[in-house]
Amino acid sequence: MVFNLVTLDRKRFTFIRWLKPEMILILAIIFVLVTAQRSLAHGAVIEYRTTQALEVQAVYDTGEPLANAQVTVYSPENLSDPWLTGTTDPQGRFLFTPDPSISGNWDVQIRQAGHGDIVSIPIGEGNEAIATTSDASDSDSGNALFSSSSNGSTATLNPLQKWIMAGSVVWGLFGTAMFFAARSKQNAHS
Amino acid sequence: MHIPDGILPAQVCAAGYAIATPVAWYSLRKINRQPDPTVGIPKAALLTATFFVASSIHIPVPPVSVHLVLNGLLGAILGYYAFPAILIGLFFQAVIIGHGGLTTLGVDAAMMGIPAILAYQVFRLRHPLAKRFNRRFADGMAGFLAGMVGLGLAAVIFMTLIITTLPPGLDAATEKSAIYGLSLAHVPLAVLEGAFTAMLVLFFQRVKPELLEDHWQKKPSKASDLTTEQAERV
Repeated sequence: MVFNLVTLDRKRFTFIRWLKPEMILILAIIFVLVTAQRSLAHGAVIEYRTTQALEVQAVYDTGEPLANAQVTVYSPENLSDPWLTGTTDPQGRFLFTPDPSISGNWDVQIRQAGHGDIVSIPIGEGNEAIATTSDASDSDSGNALFSSSSNGSTATLNPLQKWIMAGSVVWGLFGTAMFFAARSKQNAHS
Repeated sequence: MHIPDGILPAQVCAAGYAIATPVAWYSLRKINRQPDPTVGIPKAALLTATFFVASSIHIPVPPVSVHLVLNGLLGAILGYYAFPAILIGLFFQAVIIGHGGLTTLGVDAAMMGIPAILAYQVFRLRHPLAKRFNRRFADGMAGFLAGMVGLGLAAVIFMTLIITTLPPGLDAATEKSAIYGLSLAHVPLAVLEGAFTAMLVLFFQRVKPELLEDHWQKKPSKASDLTTEQAERV
């Protein structure tokens, strides 16, 4: 009896009271969906895929990054017209994806106020080549890119080696000074 | 201040060498014409060492940082020795510290060396100045001006060179504003180097005044006689 009452009650509810609101709800949902789709048609479609990119970083030999410096990328096919231009971020970094189908040395120039350098990054065919060169450029960015010469894979001198060499030059110049000073003294005596 | 490799077009680099070579030759001839060309070498060698190290001394002028050049100082104290001294210093800077480059060695030498010779001419104003003011003031003032002119002129040449050779692929407006910013930062540096030169000149004046003596213009007629005599002896 109780069961019957409940089912009756339900029936009453669904058919009499909840009919209209339910339909209104369904209509509202359809309306929202349609309008949403309309507005979606106005938006952009974003797809993504993973790819190999190169990161270059330029720092002054003081360790200060070349922030907002201009980057010019030349593909091996055309060394006179830039393939890509851009600017570095505040850390002096620049990220780009070279066209893997163009193999050879990609030249990346970073310059700011007449200072800067060119790094030549070899890109071969296949992903492995890209992976190794991006490693090379990574190890490069650890050092001062400034002192790195045209070839990105050559090891640069560490600061200690640099200072020892600089010290030798200074020592040599002092020696030259002493030598000529002593000689002129001797001449004065004789 | 040093222009590295790969910034200037090849023609400008070649022109740099074409200018620096005759100036170096002229300076060496001037040195060789002295009664004893080796007299100035100890001084020149010591200041070459100073010049070599100076470019590693950075001075922050926010938002950029500049480094000492001291070409005006070398000019004031060394005279014509300054050009070969700067040339040697720049060579070592390019090879060892990585400042500048070998392709731009001629341009850099001309950019810093010719203002150094001009700074020497400015420094010689101390003789006429000494007639109006006292000796110390004249020397200090001439030293200050020489240090300032040497660096200031080099900075102006640097700015002109970079701005006139902007490659087409570059955003010229951004690069120009960066260059102007850097050049402006050289104004306080010029004053600093001027002050440093004046201090050193006054120090030499007190401790060892013969270091500041001109050997170049001392006896113009006799100098040539001496060289011919030397040539005969040799």
